[in-house]
Amino acid sequence: MLSSIFEIEDEGKIGAGETAVIPASPAAMAAECRARASVYRLLSGVFVEEAAAEFLAAIRADDMLRQLAETGLRFDDDFVATPLSELVETLAIEYASLFAASGGFPPVESVRLYGRYKQEPEFATMQTYRRLGFVLQSGRHEVFADQLGVELMFVAALLERQAVRLDGDGHAQARELEKEIKRFWTQHLGRWARGYGRLVERAASHSFYREMGRFLAGFAEEEIGAMGLRVEDADQARLEVPKAEVQVAFDPDEPVCNGCASEAIAQRSGIVSVLHDLRV
Amino acid sequence: MEMPKITRRTFLKVSATTGAAAAAAPRLLNAMENELGGKDFAPVSGIERKAIPINCHVCNIQDGAIAYVENDRVVKLEGNPEHVSTRGRLCAKGNSGMWYSYDPDRILYPLKRVGARGEGKWKRITWDEALTEVAAKLDAALKEDPNTIMLKWGRNRTGGTLERFMKTLGSATVLNHTSVCESSKKIGMEPTWGPDIETPDFANTRYVLNFGSNVLEASYFHNPLSQRIADGRIDNRMKIVTFDVRLSNTAGFSDEWIPVHPATDGAVALAMGHVILRENLQDSDFINTWTNVTVDELKEHYKQYTPEWAEKISGVPAATIERIAREFATTKPATLFTYRGPAKHLYGSYNEKACMMLPIMTGNVEKKGGYCLPRGMGWPQPKPEPPKPAKGSYLADHPDYPLAAHKVSHLVPFWIADGKQKINVYFTYQDNPVYTNPGSMAVWGKLLKDEKLIPFFVSMSSHMGEETALADIILPDCPYLERWEPESMPNSLWPWLGIRQPVHKSLGESRENRVLLRDIIWKLDPDGKRGMKQYWDFKDGEDYMRHHFDNIPGLKEAGGLDFLKKHGVWPIYGKLDPKTGKIVDKTGREIRAEYGLHMKELSEADMVGATVAKDGLITKNGKAIGIRRNGKNYVGFPTANRLINVRVDEWAEYGFNPMPTFKRIPWHETMKDDELILTTFKLNVHKQSRTAAVKWLAEIAHSNPMWINSETAKKIGVKTGDLVRVESKVGYLVTKAYVTEGIHPRAVAIPTGFGHWEYGRLATLKLKEKKGEASHGQDDPDLNNVWWDDKGVHPNNIIPAVVDPIGGSQGWYDTVVKVTKAGPNDKYGDTQGYWDKHYEAYKETLRYAYTGDLHRKMHPEMASWAGPESVKPKVHGGH
Repeated sequence: MLSSIFEIEDEGKIGAGETAVIPASPAAMAAECRARASVYRLLSGVFVEEAAAEFLAAIRADDMLRQLAETGLRFDDDFVATPLSELVETLAIEYASLFAASGGFPPVESVRLYGRYKQEPEFATMQTYRRLGFVLQSGRHEVFADQLGVELMFVAALLERQAVRLDGDGHAQARELEKEIKRFWTQHLGRWARGYGRLVERAASHSFYREMGRFLAGFAEEEIGAMGLRVEDADQARLEVPKAEVQVAFDPDEPVCNGCASEAIAQRSGIVSVLHDLRV
Repeated sequence: MEMPKITRRTFLKVSATTGAAAAAAPRLLNAMENELGGKDFAPVSGIERKAIPINCHVCNIQDGAIAYVENDRVVKLEGNPEHVSTRGRLCAKGNSGMWYSYDPDRILYPLKRVGARGEGKWKRITWDEALTEVAAKLDAALKEDPNTIMLKWGRNRTGGTLERFMKTLGSATVLNHTSVCESSKKIGMEPTWGPDIETPDFANTRYVLNFGSNVLEASYFHNPLSQRIADGRIDNRMKIVTFDVRLSNTAGFSDEWIPVHPATDGAVALAMGHVILRENLQDSDFINTWTNVTVDELKEHYKQYTPEWAEKISGVPAATIERIAREFATTKPATLFTYRGPAKHLYGSYNEKACMMLPIMTGNVEKKGGYCLPRGMGWPQPKPEPPKPAKGSYLADHPDYPLAAHKVSHLVPFWIADGKQKINVYFTYQDNPVYTNPGSMAVWGKLLKDEKLIPFFVSMSSHMGEETALADIILPDCPYLERWEPESMPNSLWPWLGIRQPVHKSLGESRENRVLLRDIIWKLDPDGKRGMKQYWDFKDGEDYMRHHFDNIPGLKEAGGLDFLKKHGVWPIYGKLDPKTGKIVDKTGREIRAEYGLHMKELSEADMVGATVAKDGLITKNGKAIGIRRNGKNYVGFPTANRLINVRVDEWAEYGFNPMPTFKRIPWHETMKDDELILTTFKLNVHKQSRTAAVKWLAEIAHSNPMWINSETAKKIGVKTGDLVRVESKVGYLVTKAYVTEGIHPRAVAIPTGFGHWEYGRLATLKLKEKKGEASHGQDDPDLNNVWWDDKGVHPNNIIPAVVDPIGGSQGWYDTVVKVTKAGPNDKYGDTQGYWDKHYEAYKETLRYAYTGDLHRKMHPEMASWAGPESVKPKVHGGH
């Protein structure tokens, strides 16, 4: 799973603000779907439950750490230099403090957007999973349908399906799946993953969750951009500027709607952003 | 055509004559919730929401409720119109109950402590890991002594499951919360007439004497009873007189509020009895027929309690006592209600007894509009049942308090610290003594942090209260909307059975308590060879309920549990009239209660094989079943002699006065001029400790300034909002003052339910303290709406343990304090209690026990008592 997470970067060195034409061949598109799915699965593994030894060992592999470093993630010694068994225990305690015990901030969309468990997102995500033929099962622990790890896992699964369709003759179905993913981001992940990632980054004591929070926020930003979505992050965890300090600069020459035309053209021609360096 | 000339003048003239026509005109708009009769619709889609009847359990009034479910979540809670007691109404607490389920601070997984106790470091573990560890600890404890396994509950509405669990383990170390609740009210009443509470028929009475209850807000059973108070006020123009140290909302609603010196209600009640008997206003026929004393005996006994005597003690003018006594005795029907005011004192049992004597001596018992016995229903337990434990427990049946049948749980930390009984495993369920008991953190916190005294601590809880925060293992329990429970509560004159049923699957990995306990037993006795598993042979909560409800005569024919699942309550006595808010029969008339329960005659079949003693007691198979009076065989009262025991002989065995009496609090008699008595009270939107996490309620009430009389405040130079330092003999606190005329000049009052240091982000307001830190879910969208910074100050650290030597109650309202303006180093919220000083207070209160050296001094009238050595110790047989 983890070996391919950054395959996309090998496709070409894309700089900040650049866009690229999506690879025309179905095989390349399938490869990108699989690459994206791998990142989703990685992040899902981080947030869905306490990290297992095998999972952590894979992330701490030299190649993986190097690749993560290239994306801008900087783990401290508490992650890279701690014996694995000790790390598993430490991270389990950190996971409980951050996400699973009273006083934490559960990675659950209902809580983040409505302040309570089991609100509309829980019902809506479950409906979506069912509609697309998924059944939610427990892992080591029970999870909510709108838990971050589950939502990420769902997109990963759709991307993997999309890749399979692209491998064969199911291009139409692949497009449908792409729409489903965009819809899911617009209705769910896009509304909270970025802000929540920043909250984790800010609040975590351990560098593993701090960096993974950063990774989540950056990745979500990239995905939203790459899919050409316009979705406001409603998670209140985003940095708030006190009202008195807000300054609005008025530029009379600024076009009322710059960019609409070019975006529409880009969409028609299939040009979208692709994943690139998370440090941007 | 000429149009009528309507000017304001003619309009007003016309209006004066239209009353009858207006009343007769059709009215098509009524209160929607009543008119809909248990239905609700989504405002956007218009789709009818799924309605699931339940019994509310935010507090313990047990209102009938309906949970409306949309998209598998509760979106609204409302009263159940089929419930005879609460008649379709829920209070603010009941309307907010879904917060327990969806609270982001709720505990959803088994947690294991990984830091020091109370450090807040946890690890999530699986149920199997948790059960394995708990079972191993239990196994070791069982090998040593089953009684080293202790369970203390705060609220137990499991219908017998907790008791079954402890009996299965063979342990008698079962403690409850009742001694910090109303145990001396219970003990004042039980030996007198049987049950532990009264049902005042407020709706039909003409006069109410209210001693120390804030029934419109807080006490048992505030929702159903406050409805009846409103009925009585409107329909009968009844008068209410409230004796209270504080102008509570009930006192404010009353015709007269009479501020009484704290702890002296009993003296006032006795003096009123004196007036009634002196002026021959008593119901002699009732006294002579239905009590174990004669009118002459009573008159002789009450001679000592003159209004002048009571005035000196209570501050209530003798003339007022005389007037109210006459009003009460001559207005028929009349009733009386008490709650914590009289009972929560050293000798609270005497106070309660003194109060209940008033309806007894005026013959208002079991009459329409009078003072009635409670009505309730029971249910059978699943078979087989485990036997009683072989040995008694020191902690559960303390030998110094043999009359305290509801235990003296608040002294447990001292007894454990004294080595009176060893504990290996401590279970807690819906309890929070670290917050709710006297001494709170200074006493219970110290006990539960001590791993030598409490080696293994298991909390069964859905929330991280102050006690649960100190646990070693937390087993996630379900909030009330997700569990099965049988229910019945005597909260009106109509008995009923009800259920709680899950409105949806429990969240996370929480398990309802009976299932959780079953799983522990199954882990302990997987193959049944230890003989434990046989008592826990049920599939789930619903299966267990079928054992309770499917064979109850009447309910069985109606459908048993299936009926309750559909209606939430049985029987259905009538239909809620949306116009009047009352339950009516098919003819549209309000249903009528049954009165005179004690005068129900025994049937011929009942009398077959029965014997009638010289005093009229009817016994059958060695059991009293009734009493013969005036040639008729009645069931009588549910006491051993089927009479009302004005004289409680058992009290005399232990050197207590068996007749109605009053004892002053010795340390109140010696108070200095600058000393005051600290009392506490509850607000209508909070219960003892568990509502602080409910957002809607916390927004309504979240701080608790101390009430202080304006005259008193002036003396110490304090204005509303000023910080004050309140010091007792066991600690101090710093809080804000609320200066008011609405409190007795010698009392101050702090509402409870505030000042939490645990119980989640909302109760503690840690998000305000620790913005940006990794705790307490900062930036939760709703928490951004928390506009208040003041969480209040909890008073229990500075309240010492005081035990009523009869009833076992904590003397909540006996604490002497000194209030001063806060100094430069005092900060709002500072509070400190000291274990050593609390321990001294515990030793002091033991001196009032029947075995203590002050017992005789307090009871000179019992000089002929032969002393504690004369009493044969009670044999403890467990529970």
